Amino acid sequence: MIQKKVCMIGSFAVGKTSLVARFVKSIFSEKYLTTVGAKIDKKIVRLGNQELTLILWDLHGDDEFQKVRTSYLQGSAGYLLVADGTRRVTLDKALLLQKEAEEVLGKIPFVLTLNKSDLAREWEISEGTIEQLEGYGWIVIRTSAKDGQGVEEAFLSLAGKLLEG
Amino acid sequence: MVPKAQPEQEHPQVTSASPLRVPDEPVEKMESVESDGLTELRNLLLAPEQAQLAKLQERLNETEFRAEEVGQVLPEAIRLASSRNRELSTALTPVVEEGIQASVKRDPKILVNAIFPLLGPAIRKAIAATLGTMIQSLNQTLEESFSIQGLKWRIEAFRAGKSFAEVVLLHTLLYRVEQVLLIHKKTGLLLQHVVNTAVPVQDADMVSGMLTAIQDFVHDSFNLKKEEALETMQVGELTVWIEPGPEAVLVGVIRGNAPYQLRSIFQETIESIHRQHGSLLTSFQGNSAAFEICRPDLESCLQVQYASHRKKPTFVPLLVIAGLMLGAVGLWSFLSARSHQRWRLYLERLRAEPGLLVVAAEESWGKYSVSGLRDPLAVDPSKLLKETNIDAAQVISRWQPFQSAVPQFVLARAKSLLNPPGTVTLQFENGILRAVGAAPQEWITESRRLAPFISGVAQFQHHVSVDSDVSQTQSLKKQIEKQAVHFVEGGSQFVPNEEEILQTLVEEVRRMQKAARSLKQTLHLEIRGHTDGSGSEQMNRRLGQRRADRVLQFLVSRGFERAQLAAVSTGTNEPATREITESDRALNRRVTFHVTLMAKAEGRGSRP
Repeated sequence: MIQKKVCMIGSFAVGKTSLVARFVKSIFSEKYLTTVGAKIDKKIVRLGNQELTLILWDLHGDDEFQKVRTSYLQGSAGYLLVADGTRRVTLDKALLLQKEAEEVLGKIPFVLTLNKSDLAREWEISEGTIEQLEGYGWIVIRTSAKDGQGVEEAFLSLAGKLLEG
Repeated sequence: MVPKAQPEQEHPQVTSASPLRVPDEPVEKMESVESDGLTELRNLLLAPEQAQLAKLQERLNETEFRAEEVGQVLPEAIRLASSRNRELSTALTPVVEEGIQASVKRDPKILVNAIFPLLGPAIRKAIAATLGTMIQSLNQTLEESFSIQGLKWRIEAFRAGKSFAEVVLLHTLLYRVEQVLLIHKKTGLLLQHVVNTAVPVQDADMVSGMLTAIQDFVHDSFNLKKEEALETMQVGELTVWIEPGPEAVLVGVIRGNAPYQLRSIFQETIESIHRQHGSLLTSFQGNSAAFEICRPDLESCLQVQYASHRKKPTFVPLLVIAGLMLGAVGLWSFLSARSHQRWRLYLERLRAEPGLLVVAAEESWGKYSVSGLRDPLAVDPSKLLKETNIDAAQVISRWQPFQSAVPQFVLARAKSLLNPPGTVTLQFENGILRAVGAAPQEWITESRRLAPFISGVAQFQHHVSVDSDVSQTQSLKKQIEKQAVHFVEGGSQFVPNEEEILQTLVEEVRRMQKAARSLKQTLHLEIRGHTDGSGSEQMNRRLGQRRADRVLQFLVSRGFERAQLAAVSTGTNEPATREITESDRALNRRVTFHVTLMAKAEGRGSRP
């Protein structure tokens, strides 16, 4: 049984917890996020004939009150970078957070999700930006925690990267 | 022989700067011919060696190449050197020491991690050995002398109809390790998990992650040092022990009161896992299947511990002794507080007592001593001691006699020395002793002589009149008691002419009554009837009584109060003279008188 630690990184209120909730059934309350600053969930994914257990560390969003605890990042095999597609500023923040994570963890697999894709009319991120990021070799996936679009895909792509690495 | 064509042959040169020999170059000078010849000769003779030298030079110049070569022979060289003598290790020691120092200085964690599996057991072994020998003898002594708990359990087993073992188990369930988790420290991933009972367990993978998060949280929140970490969590009956190692932590979830020995089992386990599977831990990439081999280690931690009957009493005697000691200390405190209180009370009473002067008092460890001055007239301190319930054997008393100037003592001393008659009152005030009243002349003279010797008396004032009444009563008493009234033979009639004597008597008694009154005294007159020796004893007794009664009646008829008179018969017991003749007998037939002066009773005046 292969297990991997995966962190959810992103600004406050971009929908990290909702993404996780869409993906797994939680046993811990969301209260942990605001108190301890982390909430752990687990998802077993199957890729081909290989099974992988993802231990998801949902971290409290980075905001003016609370910094992401770098100690929580330690030991991650990969991370899911989450931004809110309807707020351009959260993408900028995600790019900064990615840099920070890379400083702590080195170059490890990650996937960028642009959440709230169901709100197409409020979308603030241009195709050009996405293409630019993809040009750096990033995996960018549009997700909607609301209707579930892209959620599975995002986690599975990350899982696939983890197995490759 | 070297062939002629050889010089024209091109040969390797050490440097490219060396000119190549051209075969058709004209030879012009002798010198140059000579030197060319030498070079040629040298080349001819040493060419192969020169090539070798050049190669060697090249190898020496290239450090990497050299290092590689040395590296190849180094292990063998060290092996050989160290098998021959200790020179190599001596030479290497300072280098190794310096290296270790440098390593510690740079990052102590590396060395700590390396020796971690050894360090714990070594320290524990040393401590356990020291403590063990110390405790062993104590425990043995206690175990053999006490087992109250054991006895209690036996009684309980007998009453409940259970086996003794059942009862012991019931009472001695100390703790149960419900689950043990082995968690990879860096990733927080669960490596292995064992559960003791069918207790509902949350998903261990997530618990493991959350535990790690909480540890990080605690570590970050309280600014702990790098090596400090959350080690214990306590929730109700549950205790969570986190035993950290360099790469993995062992977490035990325990119900009940786990003893500290269990902690050392946890420590040993995590150390042993590091020792045996250290490389697995460092290379862990998420595959926890490899840690299946740690399962027996973890299972060894899954202990259900009933305190063994053999072990338990070691605590019981200690508790009993502690209890007894506590009780003894309590009792001792109570008793000492009580006797201290009593002693204070005793001293207070001593100090309040006139004529006693406490100079020093001491109290130490239940022994008391008191010293001071005591007027002989003051109360006896041992009596007070008895009243305050203090054991007299515990008290050393030293009393020096002295004469107190307290007025009541001065007065008491004056009374005992001067012995004043009832008619004199003594008063003492401001150092002045005053005698008031009336007294015979002799007493007045004597008291004046003695008064200055009474301690505390500065002055003696005399307000005592010479008492004529006293002298009068005394002489009258004598006279009255000389009188005798005579009777006829066998009857209670006075002999003729006795009225005169009776009249005198009445007058004398009246005078004496008057004198007594002025002395605040009353007179009592006893009338004693006597008979002569003839006749029976019984008859004489009655006759004596009739004669006394006759005189009593006479006196009452003359106005004397009945209560102050008494008539008694002596029969023949008190003859006035020996009866030889009839006139002797006549003398014995009589009534005599006995006078007593008594202090006057309040409110009862005598009428004349």
